[in-house]
Amino acid sequence: MPLGRLSQWLLLAPALALLSALFLVPIVWFIAGSLASLGGASEIWGETQRTLGSTAIVKTILNTNVIALTVTLFALLLGYPMSFALSRLKGAAFTLVLVCIVLPYFTSIIVRTYAWMVLLGRRGIVNDMLLSLGLIDQPLALLYNRTGVIIGMTYVLLPYMVLTLYAAMKAVDMRLLQAAEGMGARPFEVFRRVFLPLTMHGVLAGCLIVFILAIGYFITPALMGGPSDMMMAMLIEREIELSQNWPAAALMTIVLLAITLALYSIYSRFNDQSGAEGF
Amino acid sequence: MSSVTLEKLTKSYGSETVVRSISMDIAQGEFLSLLGPSGSGKTTTLSMIAGFVTADSGRILFGAKDVTRLPPRDRKLGMVFQNYAIFPHLDVFNNVAFPLTVRRLPKDEVEKRVRQAMEMVRLTGFETRYGKQLSGGQQQRVALARAIVAQPEIILMDEPLGALDKNLRYQMQMEIKEISSRLGMTVIYVTHDQEEALTMSDRIAIMENGRIAQLGAPRDVYEHPESVFVARFLGEANLVPVKRLDGILRGPGGNALRVEKDRSQLATGKIFVRPEKIRLSSAGEPVDGNFLPGKIRSVAFLGNVVRTEIAVDDEVDIVCDTANSDRLVMPKAGDLVQVSWLPSACHVLEG
Amino acid sequence: MTMSLKGMRSSRRQFLVGGATLLAAPYVLKGKALAAGQVIVRTPGGVYDEIMRKNVYDPFTEATGITVVPVAATVAKLLAMFESGNVELDLIDTGEGPLIQLERKGALTPIDYGSWKLSKPENITEEYKSEFRVTDFAYATVLAYNTDTFKGDAHPDNWPDFWDAEKFPGPRMLADMATGTPNLEFALIADGVALKDLYPLDVDRAFKSLSRIRPAITRFWDTGALSAQLMTDAEVVTGSIWNGRLQAVMDKGAPLSFTWNQHMLQLQQVAIFKDSPNVAEAQQLIDFMMQPSVQAGYGAALRYSPSNTKAFDLIDPKIVEQMPGNPATRDKAFVQNVAWWEDNRDAINKRWSSWILG
Repeated sequence: MPLGRLSQWLLLAPALALLSALFLVPIVWFIAGSLASLGGASEIWGETQRTLGSTAIVKTILNTNVIALTVTLFALLLGYPMSFALSRLKGAAFTLVLVCIVLPYFTSIIVRTYAWMVLLGRRGIVNDMLLSLGLIDQPLALLYNRTGVIIGMTYVLLPYMVLTLYAAMKAVDMRLLQAAEGMGARPFEVFRRVFLPLTMHGVLAGCLIVFILAIGYFITPALMGGPSDMMMAMLIEREIELSQNWPAAALMTIVLLAITLALYSIYSRFNDQSGAEGF
Repeated sequence: MSSVTLEKLTKSYGSETVVRSISMDIAQGEFLSLLGPSGSGKTTTLSMIAGFVTADSGRILFGAKDVTRLPPRDRKLGMVFQNYAIFPHLDVFNNVAFPLTVRRLPKDEVEKRVRQAMEMVRLTGFETRYGKQLSGGQQQRVALARAIVAQPEIILMDEPLGALDKNLRYQMQMEIKEISSRLGMTVIYVTHDQEEALTMSDRIAIMENGRIAQLGAPRDVYEHPESVFVARFLGEANLVPVKRLDGILRGPGGNALRVEKDRSQLATGKIFVRPEKIRLSSAGEPVDGNFLPGKIRSVAFLGNVVRTEIAVDDEVDIVCDTANSDRLVMPKAGDLVQVSWLPSACHVLEG
Repeated sequence: MTMSLKGMRSSRRQFLVGGATLLAAPYVLKGKALAAGQVIVRTPGGVYDEIMRKNVYDPFTEATGITVVPVAATVAKLLAMFESGNVELDLIDTGEGPLIQLERKGALTPIDYGSWKLSKPENITEEYKSEFRVTDFAYATVLAYNTDTFKGDAHPDNWPDFWDAEKFPGPRMLADMATGTPNLEFALIADGVALKDLYPLDVDRAFKSLSRIRPAITRFWDTGALSAQLMTDAEVVTGSIWNGRLQAVMDKGAPLSFTWNQHMLQLQQVAIFKDSPNVAEAQQLIDFMMQPSVQAGYGAALRYSPSNTKAFDLIDPKIVEQMPGNPATRDKAFVQNVAWWEDNRDAINKRWSSWILG
């Protein structure tokens, strides 16, 4: 039964109130206040040119997007088979795998990141093993560089991919796959021509979620990255902590927020469409 | 063109055996229905023929070729699924073309064959629609077109009309029958609807508990069921308990009942007779063949027939179907009557 | 909430009012924060807090009945709090730099040396005290190295050695911009600048020098904990590090050592927030902290050098040797010119961001 417009809004009201109080009001106030503190429009324009025109921010935006894109790609490559396995499992096995995927998320992100540091360090477990197996002569640089950031962030963001994909895969009517097989399709063809297209909206949703989360990431790149693995959030933090340059931080925040919202609007539009087609 | 042979096919899931050593020969071009209640093993049998389920033992032959271990894709079957299995991400054209495109047929060949198949199921013009923009009957036609488009020698159908309403179902039954016989395909058709099986099939295999209870032409299995199960499953059946006394079968009230093909080894049994073979007459009127006196319990007007239930003793009711006609006098509940039938219209079953 | 729309338009200071209220929420939630008989202290947190609690806060509470509540806050948070006029924190225990920033903004209350009953102001090293700030200890950034990698005397012994990645190969670390003062001084020393001629820093020359060693730098550390971890895990084999942090892991047996050559002295200071709710109690706590016996306790534990000269007498001479600012090492040191950093930090931050990404 369709709800009336009013009752829809009433149901949404608590969520909207919470969102406004905890997110919307502070961020608008932060941005507006920071920029207003500069004075008039010409001063704001000047600061905008200075901030967004600097090579540091341009490179950081680029860095951030490259890292987020790479992480998204790896999360997809790892997450797709994992989700597939998960969507096939039942009962205890399903619960076990799900718990394995989700359980680490009950520990703090810092602890998890430190665990990676123990694994990936120059004298970490991975390098020790590879060295003792004679596969390498010198420890691999897995930490404090781009590799470390990608590994750490992919791990942290993987569940978002897995759970999104899982939802899409679970919704696929398995009889369609059997039908395709019966019509002469080889397993790879079944995957390429039926399963993949039917889970494509999940792939897109998962990628967008992971990408959106990744571009705002702070802790993992800050702990596991190298000197030049600077991301937007780190730059924003630095502007405030070191220079107390709130307007510059606000401008960078606008850039980050704009990218996020643009992607989100793609995501929600896409979601609406796929919803309308009832996949 | 290809016949299908099943040899002692068996399948178990854990401790439960769902198909028990089934054997049958299905002739090339034959329309065979697997009919049975749910859990009787008909879908598992079909799945083994399709290759989705591997038989524990036994063989499946298409013509002379053993396909028991062949994966589904190599069996070259046409298939119509219970839920149609129309790919939601593909339009009608690409759905129908699917069996051709996975086999990498040239594009113009694909287009030609899809066009032919679409014409055959009278769906021309719907090529660019998607599954959920179609009615149930149209979806059924898409599934049918897709099953025949690759010109398979054998088509398997798993309750393909289950989701359609009655009128549409009858129309589709006729179309499926017509198309399959026109193309000369061997059809194996799973259904739990006995009317559908009777209407469409050359032969019907009635399944019970993983076995074939009876295999035969529709009229044969309808008129001459070999067991109480088959008699009951294929429409309404009167089963009158009888005991043999001094070599003569006696029914309710000790009335002697004659059967044309008696089975003298049976000491007790049930006399089987279809409701439409029963005549209803006023008490005391002279009649031919077997008769039992009774009292009308209920009368139902079903349109083309009038169904009357007559209690012939405390435990046994006889159902009588009388064709509707201008001369029909409607019986009334409470009337004292007698039911009668010819010895040639009945036989005696174990049970 | 004291936020007002008028305030939002008028100035950055006014705008920050609300922000600080939000930032200060954790203290308010502590409930006791505004009650009498409390001092709320900004501390660096971690192990530091434990040592201070044991050697300063608990004995102070025992002696006076005044409770000490340590809280964490960054410079930005402190500034926001002050500019909003919502000061809910009394004593600030932090590096000299942030306190200079606060002092310049007029955010500090003069230290009432005259009210001291337990400590004598004249015993505090002269350059360690000023009107608004008094040093609780001096610490040093030293050159540390791994003794497994560099055996015997074959170790980097000064900053030019550190910059020589061929003679002393291996991954290295230096302080990041995030510490507030990246190691431009060491870059200049490595490039041949004498200790006495460092300030004002030649920023161009420093960055050029940094660029030369950059390929050998695994990581610029931003926290004391990270620097200690990088050295302990042998992620780096040599680097700049605070002497106390280093000593702590050396005492646990890590194969590390350091040189006093060309070390940089820095000051940790305390100051009282202007308009803080518990000024009197904070003054009392400073007096208590400056006692030789108290300084000897935490100084020895941290391996940082007391500001009260009388405290050295109470510390094991062997431990005094491990402290910066002792007579044996004093001439190998230079004192960081924090005021210069406060004047130039914004520019260097921008420069650093471009350099690090370049």
